[in-house]
Amino acid sequence: MGLALLIVVLVAIFATVNPGFASPFNLFSLTRVMGIDMVIGFSMMVVLVTGGLNLAVGSIGVAAVMVGGWAMQVQGVPVLPAMAMAVAFGAFLGWINGQLTVRIGVHSFIVTLATMSIFFGAMIVLTKAESFNALPGAFVDLGRLRYWGFVSGMLPAALIVGVGLWLFFNRTSLGREILAAGANLEAARLSGIRVERTIVVAHAMSGGLAALAGLMLAARNGAALPSMAGHIGMSWLLPAFLAPVLGGTLLTGGVISVVGTALGAAMVTIITNGLLQLQVGEFWVQMFLGLILLAAVLLDRLRGVMAERRRQVR
Amino acid sequence: MTDRLRALALADWFGLLVVVLVAGALLAFLQPAFLSTYNIYVLLLSFSLWVLVALAQMVIIAIGQMNLSVGAIGGLVAITFAGTMEVWGLPIPLAVLLGLVLAALCGLFNGVVTHVSGISAFIITLATLSIFKGINIGITEAQPFYAIPDAVKAFGAARLGGVPYMLVVPALAIVGVWLLFNRMVLGRQILAVGANRHAAELSGIRVGRVVVIAHVLSAVLAATAGMLAVARLQLGQPTIGDDWLILSFAAPVIGGAILAGGHVSVIGTCLGVVIVTLINNALVLLGIDPFFVQLLLGALILAAVMLNRWRERRREALA
Repeated sequence: MGLALLIVVLVAIFATVNPGFASPFNLFSLTRVMGIDMVIGFSMMVVLVTGGLNLAVGSIGVAAVMVGGWAMQVQGVPVLPAMAMAVAFGAFLGWINGQLTVRIGVHSFIVTLATMSIFFGAMIVLTKAESFNALPGAFVDLGRLRYWGFVSGMLPAALIVGVGLWLFFNRTSLGREILAAGANLEAARLSGIRVERTIVVAHAMSGGLAALAGLMLAARNGAALPSMAGHIGMSWLLPAFLAPVLGGTLLTGGVISVVGTALGAAMVTIITNGLLQLQVGEFWVQMFLGLILLAAVLLDRLRGVMAERRRQVR
Repeated sequence: MTDRLRALALADWFGLLVVVLVAGALLAFLQPAFLSTYNIYVLLLSFSLWVLVALAQMVIIAIGQMNLSVGAIGGLVAITFAGTMEVWGLPIPLAVLLGLVLAALCGLFNGVVTHVSGISAFIITLATLSIFKGINIGITEAQPFYAIPDAVKAFGAARLGGVPYMLVVPALAIVGVWLLFNRMVLGRQILAVGANRHAAELSGIRVGRVVVIAHVLSAVLAATAGMLAVARLQLGQPTIGDDWLILSFAAPVIGGAILAGGHVSVIGTCLGVVIVTLINNALVLLGIDPFFVQLLLGALILAAVMLNRWRERRREALA
């Protein structure tokens, strides 16, 4: 739990250097972004478990939100069913990714690279790149939800999702099967696990979580924007990989840490926010995040190598 | 047996050539403006840039890796090239040289870190993508460099009938990369490492050296594309390279490259770029929503991957 300690130290540093950091206003916006980043991290985490990845998280998030926005604003669907529709649509897009990966038999990298372009392209063609900015008040209010004066409702929402995921991977047989298939595909297959199904389920979950993250972002923005994840959803990729990788989820699959992913996302958000508060200049933040990702994977690798050496010495 | 394999390898690009010719004829028939000198100029201009981007990715696909930072390197070199000329008043040849050296350093970094750490190139280049792009945004604060020397602007706009002058650069690059993979030991070594890293190591190939060289080459090709983009746009735009990712994979994969490594086709990749260029052009000429390009590119990648997979299985069955 070095990560938790690191977060405490970072918060202490930022709070002392800049009193504005601990202001209720800043903490509110910080926890709001933190909740969203956690869910984005979770949505990548659930496919990393299978040894695959999902480049289309951003595209799916935006596509699902546009469906939700259309349902609410144009069709007048009540907020909760519309949100459910968006999540279901995201899960459906993820299911397509899973099916394609399993059926073609190539790595999910190239499949989701193609679908990130397809989903985003289809979304832009259908929406004509226009946003839904007259969303119902009940939905926009979700972004303003505030507890004890400084915690955004987004953070508890993300934590609830995290608890659900933890229970799923630790307490249900399907969750354990996904982990087993991710750790060793052939062994899992031999022990009777339907490995194709685990991959499809993981991708569908990823899509659903991406849609949820999209909804949270839309509630924060007060609008469903086609541009909210950047060109073909690229701008979600860095936070999506940073949180699980910092939190100790292995890219090779089979090892997962829900708590680690949540803490990883928290750390990224705190660093970003702290750097902005320190007037480092918003333009340099991306470079710092890239350096952090690089440092994290290299450190992780170094730890693995050292552990290996120690074992050999014995 | 070898004859049969050779025939299959030939099929890599032969089918594509037929597709290109049919699509071209169809377009010319539907829209006579397609064959106008100006339209051919526009086509070749897009081709010039994109083929370099595609080759930059193809070199890395050959070693069985991927390079997400192709666009970020292209963008960083583009603004360095434009910026050093505008702010420091560097002469053009020096600015070009500086751009190439910077790219080589970026590629060196990607290659060395990937090889020494043994971490997948995907995650390393995702990190360096953010670092290179981050430096770009940090320096430019997202503002373009406008004051590009007239000679660069002239080079970007010059044409002989339908042929842009800048086509010379990608033409040289295509010949060079073709020679590398078909006539040179290094090219063979790159493919050997991609096909079976362990076997390559056992047969005495210095894998690390080959991986690093491939990354440097990839970065230099991306940098060339970035500098041509500056000449073509007539300004040092920080967003250069942002939309290269999908294209960089689409063209080599359409051209029959196998993502696991060890098999790429230079001619196939070029034809892949031609197909993408034609689709783009067709959407414009026929007045179709240009946003369809994104959708079609993705669909093309999927179709090509399926086709390559099928061909791979057939090859295995024959072998």
